Amino acid sequence: MTRDEIKDMILEIIEDIDEEAEFDQLDPDAPLRDQLDLDSMDFLDIVMELRKRYKLQIPEEEYPQLATLTSCVNYLEPRLKDA
Amino acid sequence: MADYQLIIIGCGLSGLAAGIRAARFGRRTLILEQHTVAGGLNSYYHRRGVLLETGLHAMTNFAAIGDKRAPLNRLFRQLKLSRRAFVTHEQIGSEIVFPQLRLAFSNDFSLLEAGIAAAFPGCMDRFARLVRAVDAYDPFAPAPWRSTREFLSSILAEPLLEDMLLLPLMVYGNAEEHDMDLGQFVIMFRAVFQDGFFRPQGTIRDFLDMLVAQFRRFDGEIRFQSPVASIIRRHDRVAGVVLADGEEISSDAVLSTVGIPGTARLAGWDLDVAAHTGRMSFMETIALVPARSMAELRHDRTIFFYNLEPTFSYQRPDDLLDVSWGVICFPGNFQGLEAADPAQVRVTNAANYELWQRLEDDDYRRAKERWSAKSLAAAGKIIGNSPADIVYQDSFTPLTIERFTAKAEGAVYGSPRKIRDGRTPWPNLFIAGTDQGYLGIVGAMLSGVTIVNQHLLGS
Repeated sequence: MTRDEIKDMILEIIEDIDEEAEFDQLDPDAPLRDQLDLDSMDFLDIVMELRKRYKLQIPEEEYPQLATLTSCVNYLEPRLKDA
Repeated sequence: MADYQLIIIGCGLSGLAAGIRAARFGRRTLILEQHTVAGGLNSYYHRRGVLLETGLHAMTNFAAIGDKRAPLNRLFRQLKLSRRAFVTHEQIGSEIVFPQLRLAFSNDFSLLEAGIAAAFPGCMDRFARLVRAVDAYDPFAPAPWRSTREFLSSILAEPLLEDMLLLPLMVYGNAEEHDMDLGQFVIMFRAVFQDGFFRPQGTIRDFLDMLVAQFRRFDGEIRFQSPVASIIRRHDRVAGVVLADGEEISSDAVLSTVGIPGTARLAGWDLDVAAHTGRMSFMETIALVPARSMAELRHDRTIFFYNLEPTFSYQRPDDLLDVSWGVICFPGNFQGLEAADPAQVRVTNAANYELWQRLEDDDYRRAKERWSAKSLAAAGKIIGNSPADIVYQDSFTPLTIERFTAKAEGAVYGSPRKIRDGRTPWPNLFIAGTDQGYLGIVGAMLSGVTIVNQHLLGS
């Protein structure tokens, strides 16, 4: 997947988790959770959805690397290059 | 490979919520239910062509669409249900009635504040302090038991107000007698006073159908009329269940929602069952009243929490029933509902399980008649005497509750000692639901969600 595809995929997962999600004002370099008012349970769902869709096992200590949209793309790009 | 990755015992609200979470993320999940319908404590039955709900008076934790942090909306996200498609009806308003004073409250917190300001003029600063303490308290952080009675009296120093605030919170979610853990008080204060009451559109049946459909959408399986006889133990783990008809079903993990005493019995768990059996149970009488006769009753509220005594004692009564305090609910009195004919009135009082259990068939039936009449008579002091033309009347006792919900001794709020982390002596047997510690419909469902998230989705 390209960086743009990964970005779209992340936003699609979030939209799927939260029907209230709005991305118009989203700053790709600021924490997703604060901007979208998501909690740790929602965050777990992003991780679970990545696992379900791409068989990606993300260890808990690497969760901080999923904090912003840009850091998500950076983290996932090498892991999804063949996806 | 085991038959299932997860077996859930009990198709009540916590079991269904747990099942949806597990199935949503691809776990092969089976829910086993002893009865023919889902719901457990919050289910339904039919009499005279009318669907009668068990349990549900109102849902607590009302939250508007878009309030993302509210428990109700978090729950809907977790279950991948659309909150926008879920139509709610808020309460009209409720009232706490003591001989000395009445306090009204609604989903607008300022109504309660205004009532307190009028009745306890010197107390508003102290009440504001209480609200700040509730707002600052994290009831989900592990903490030792702390007395709510002492907490309230240290802040408010108004015994009447303390009793009046405690009546709805205790009767809607306290497993202990006399006092309440502070964490539970904070949860209930938010759920009842700050968030408030509502009903889903339709009946509890529609709500349950929605959850069952969601579970099945994710390929979850349910077997009704399938009581579990025992949980299979193999070495230091559990390996599945044996049904009452002898069939064995294997699974990687088991989640029990049948309470600590019930789980102990199924798993051969050696623990102090008496200490984990609640003493608070209730009898509820439902009266169906022709719409034309409702004018004889004061029914301008959704729920009355009444006490005919000057002080409030929350305990198992010495008699079969204690009609000196209780709850009167008009399930049709929510905003935007069309008037039903017949209309329903439900009266709930604390009952003594042990005394009910001692009664033989005829005595039991007669006691039910006698005490439901006393219950309606006591409620009559608040809302006026029941009309003579009641269409149909039915009561359920602690024995009915025990039989249909698997709650030991009919204790609707379960064990006074909860197992907050859901763990048992076996690493792959967990408990969720009432005895894990979150109560009410929203609470029970969050319990199922939380336990699955913590123990079953991580690895």
